[in-house]
Amino acid sequence: MRASTLRLLLATTLAFLLPSAPVAAEAVDAQAILAASDAVRNPDFPFGVTNTLIEYRRGRENERSVLAVYAKAAPDGGQFRSLIRYLAPARDADKLLLYNGRDLWFFDPASKASVRLSPQQRLLGQASNGDVVTANFARDYRATAAGEEEITDGDRQPRRCHRLELTASTPEANYPRIEMWIDTVGHRPVKARFYTESGKLLKTAYYRRYQPVFGVERPTETVIIDGLEADWVTVMRYTDWVKREVPEVWLQRDYLPRFRPE
Amino acid sequence: MKRAAAAFGTIRVAVAAALLAAGAARADDADEAALRLADAAPEVTHAAAGGRLFVEGAAGRGGGDGFRRLSLDLRYEHALAPGLRAFVANRLDVRSPTPDGADAAINTLKEAYLGWQMSADALLDLGRINLKNGVAAGYNPTDWFRAGAVRSVVSIDPASLRENRQGSVMLRGQRLWPGGSLTALYAPRLARSPDDDGLSLDFGATNGRERGLVAVGETFGGLALQFLVYREAERSTQYGLNLTALANDATVAHIEWSGGRERPSPLMAAAAGSGSADAWRNRLAAGFTWTSPQRLSLTAEYHYNGAGLDTTAWNALRRTPPQRLAHLRAEALATQEAPTRHTLFLHANWQDAFVPRLNLALMHHRDLTDDSRRIWLEARYHAGDIEYAIQWQRGDGSPTSRFGAFGGSPGWQAVLRHYFQ
Repeated sequence: MRASTLRLLLATTLAFLLPSAPVAAEAVDAQAILAASDAVRNPDFPFGVTNTLIEYRRGRENERSVLAVYAKAAPDGGQFRSLIRYLAPARDADKLLLYNGRDLWFFDPASKASVRLSPQQRLLGQASNGDVVTANFARDYRATAAGEEEITDGDRQPRRCHRLELTASTPEANYPRIEMWIDTVGHRPVKARFYTESGKLLKTAYYRRYQPVFGVERPTETVIIDGLEADWVTVMRYTDWVKREVPEVWLQRDYLPRFRPE
Repeated sequence: MKRAAAAFGTIRVAVAAALLAAGAARADDADEAALRLADAAPEVTHAAAGGRLFVEGAAGRGGGDGFRRLSLDLRYEHALAPGLRAFVANRLDVRSPTPDGADAAINTLKEAYLGWQMSADALLDLGRINLKNGVAAGYNPTDWFRAGAVRSVVSIDPASLRENRQGSVMLRGQRLWPGGSLTALYAPRLARSPDDDGLSLDFGATNGRERGLVAVGETFGGLALQFLVYREAERSTQYGLNLTALANDATVAHIEWSGGRERPSPLMAAAAGSGSADAWRNRLAAGFTWTSPQRLSLTAEYHYNGAGLDTTAWNALRRTPPQRLAHLRAEALATQEAPTRHTLFLHANWQDAFVPRLNLALMHHRDLTDDSRRIWLEARYHAGDIEYAIQWQRGDGSPTSRFGAFGGSPGWQAVLRHYFQ
């Protein structure tokens, strides 16, 4: 009786341990894969980049914006903070957007007004503020592995990818859930799908046109496809990468009226 | 029977699988079409910004009369040396017919100053600077430099009033630290009184008195705070506070307050029947902005002007000869203060409304003292470097009320703007 009780206990313990052990291992791996793909997208030092956004509706160009982005990770090695300056169109020239976690400020040099924005407030059509600024997903999402799949990447090449399920784990996360495909070789981000709380597809993003930037092959273009209107497409193209210092004092509201690029 | 049920189950599974596959195929087709668009996206070359120029033409009707306007608006900055830059912003409005006694051409030198960035965290500016304080949208109690600053009103939109005004000549220093700053400025007296000449630099309107301001900004968690102390010759010290907080992912709350001892203007003192005694006055604008996922932003604010007339004094003034009321209204317009105490303000802005690139805006003022109302609507569409706008406004209330002065006659204007860079 005692032996059978022991066997039952052992079996029960194993039943709990066996399924959970691979899950724990997967969680660690998935998070590491996500962090590695973040490192492919984002340099690990302060930098500047020009982001050209071209928005298409029903197959025709609708809007075009050119932004100068200055990004720097938080001192604790955390999320990026970004200062964004509009270069074009002419009506928006020199407007500024400061993105510091959930702290968002918009400055218009015409009215000299610094206006605080909510994270939901979008300034650039389909692209959310979170799409425009540099973001480390591994910091704001918990990743779990959902197997491997072969998919066609944004450059129409077949890619063997890890499929990761990302769930928001901090209030700074822009989306409740993301599905992400990351190349099994080199951890390149290939494709992502962003969902609402209720599971509705918000948008699909393809990371493509990989080119050497700061010694690493990085995506130089993101194509965003709307989840509801598939013919609503935004192309974000990154050029003019430069390693540059972004002083800590720039990353606050009171500096916005004074900000001048060098 | 069991076999039929099993077959039916198999068919259901097959249909579901086919639907899923069809859905995936459709998604793949859509993705492929999107990627083809991206393949053909043009290589964009751009010049670094550093200025803006637009020409604007407008025609409309207000107060029963037609009018036309042509405006030229320029903002430009230029690096003179490392850390040293020159800034100029100017606007010229030419009107027809000319308002009573005014020049047809009104020039507003908004800014002309030198900015010296001494180090990453220390800055010094000298010249005419358009300084704007305040976090509220419809009324800014801490924006002390707004009084007399608007030479030419082209719209009652608060954003337009903030944009189309002349700065004050001042020496301004700023020290920054991570998350905060200290600003101190001094604006000297340069002229005795405003100058109506259309091309005047009008230092009397902005630098008619010696003034100074110290402001400290700091961030505490999600709270952004700013404390201000303002001093003007022959006036008591005024204090101010600006506060914003993120209520949730879609809502920003804000409070703007100012207070200090103050002597009413002769017109206000006569209307209030209170004499010219110095008394503590509070001013407040408090509200929130909520944004929907569809890019609709709604702002609601309550405005309190402690220096305005209470219900009794306002109603008494409305029974006096109309000239007194007209003078008080003109003074309120120049100082951008309400003549009464309590106002509700609503502002809605919808970007990409119904069709891409169409912005719709609505502004509503309701005076809680005399229950008069004003509504302002704007539809603005942009295509490339050109913007088209139609604005319409209407006041409701008795002819002697705050917003019913024009007997409910609506005004409108059509605007065409062309940007150059």
